[in-house]
Amino acid sequence: MIRFEKVTKTYPGHPHPALDNISVDVEKGEFVFLVGSSGSGKSTFLRLVLREYRPTTGRVYVAGKEINRLASWKVPRLRRDIGTVFQDFRLLPNKTVTENVAFTLQVIGKSRKEIKDVVPETLELVGLTGKGDRMPDELSGGEQQRVAVARAFVNRPMILIADEPTGNLDPTTSVGIMKLLDRINRTGTTVVMATHDSSIVDQMRKRVIELENGHVVRDQAQGVYGHQV
Amino acid sequence: MQLRYVYSELGQGLRRNLSMHLAVILTLFVSLTLVGMGVLFQQQATKAAEQWGNQLQITVFLCRNGDSNPVCPSSVTDAQKTDIEAVVRDNPEVADYHFESSETALDKAKELYGEELFSGDNPAITAEDMPQTIWITLEDPEQFEGITSAVQGLDGVSRVQDMRKVIAPILGALSMLQWVALVTAAVLVFAALLLVANTIRLAAFARRKEIGIMRLVGASTLYIALPFLLEALVTAIIGVVLAGGALAAVQQFGIEGRGDDTLKFIPWIGWDEFGLALLAVGVLGPLLTLLPTLVLTRKYLKV
Repeated sequence: MIRFEKVTKTYPGHPHPALDNISVDVEKGEFVFLVGSSGSGKSTFLRLVLREYRPTTGRVYVAGKEINRLASWKVPRLRRDIGTVFQDFRLLPNKTVTENVAFTLQVIGKSRKEIKDVVPETLELVGLTGKGDRMPDELSGGEQQRVAVARAFVNRPMILIADEPTGNLDPTTSVGIMKLLDRINRTGTTVVMATHDSSIVDQMRKRVIELENGHVVRDQAQGVYGHQV
Repeated sequence: MQLRYVYSELGQGLRRNLSMHLAVILTLFVSLTLVGMGVLFQQQATKAAEQWGNQLQITVFLCRNGDSNPVCPSSVTDAQKTDIEAVVRDNPEVADYHFESSETALDKAKELYGEELFSGDNPAITAEDMPQTIWITLEDPEQFEGITSAVQGLDGVSRVQDMRKVIAPILGALSMLQWVALVTAAVLVFAALLLVANTIRLAAFARRKEIGIMRLVGASTLYIALPFLLEALVTAIIGVVLAGGALAAVQQFGIEGRGDDTLKFIPWIGWDEFGLALLAVGVLGPLLTLLPTLVLTRKYLKV
């Protein structure tokens, strides 16, 4: 589903590459944690998957497409196969919960009827039934993140990318979000999650890829956050 | 594509950046009006040159009673007229010529200055006061010196007038007005372009959150840029309508109403030429806003 082949990414003006000759293979339906300190290359990894950047050398394949060669005008179509969740939720403050979730479908041109059917379904899946008319600032952080997950998943993407989704949440709320991501993963969606949250990684026992200075220093099935095995 | 979103964004965008949009509209209005004026002046100059260029005539004024020119002791005699006609007829530079009597000259004067001056018991000017003239059409408008000098010294000739001397300053003034309008328009067009660019930058900044999310969820570039393009089109249309109105006012009150009456001897432009100016403004206006919008949305909204 996601494949990095000897990928190096160097940003202009930086002597050291953000990612240095890494090769990673993520299968369809996998749940992968991406761990490592700040500046280790996690965000660059995710941005390459989203084709916000192209690799400097090497090849990146996402959902069967080689993104190096993907024409700019085809990028939006690629991103419709990828849902994205961020630490800071990134909801539109002047739209209701329903509108925020529907926004994804609107901008990719889904019919009004389809939106009407799918949005409540997705809100139910993330546990926000009955809160569709609330504004984001009337919700707790955990609820806002659920809205963001609903928005990322409403289009039933093949891949869900989560960049520190629990970074702004307390541990109990974080567990709720992780259960949600796990449920989404069980529907067959590949989930790649960058995180600093060791307790979550340790609990979930999923594959862990650790980055350090742009290198993969560990790739472990059912791993934990730290180096202890 | 869901146009509902696009329209609501359009309305929001227009309200959010109202002062910038007003600045763009006003600058467009003034610069497009000047462009239109430039076109009108150019049309006027072409029309005047056409009229006077085709009929480029030399007018030979013959002596009359009480002529101010000392070479004319009395009115031209018939014998002198025959001699002058012979010279004109035989000159190779002359294509055509005709005599104009004092009465015809008086009629023309009446038409220009009104009847009152010439009627009553003691009119200010009578046919006697008007000179007889020979109107000479040249073979080649540039070849006029031979005939001028040939006729100039003949008995009974008061003076020879080349119409170009009268018309040149008018054509010169028109051409200068045209350039002043177009150069000023060019400066203002540049200002309009900068204003459009700034407006887009502000709008893109104000919407950066929506735009970021749209990009993430896979909205096409066109979908993201459409509200910006529509905003640009709306401001352009308002600017074009205002400029068209101003030009129509110039045409109606400046030319049809006034110039036509007071400066009759100039062939004035009509609504056809106005249509051409309007077309220029109508094409230029949208181009001025849409082109920078297309370029800048590609830059700021890159997926």
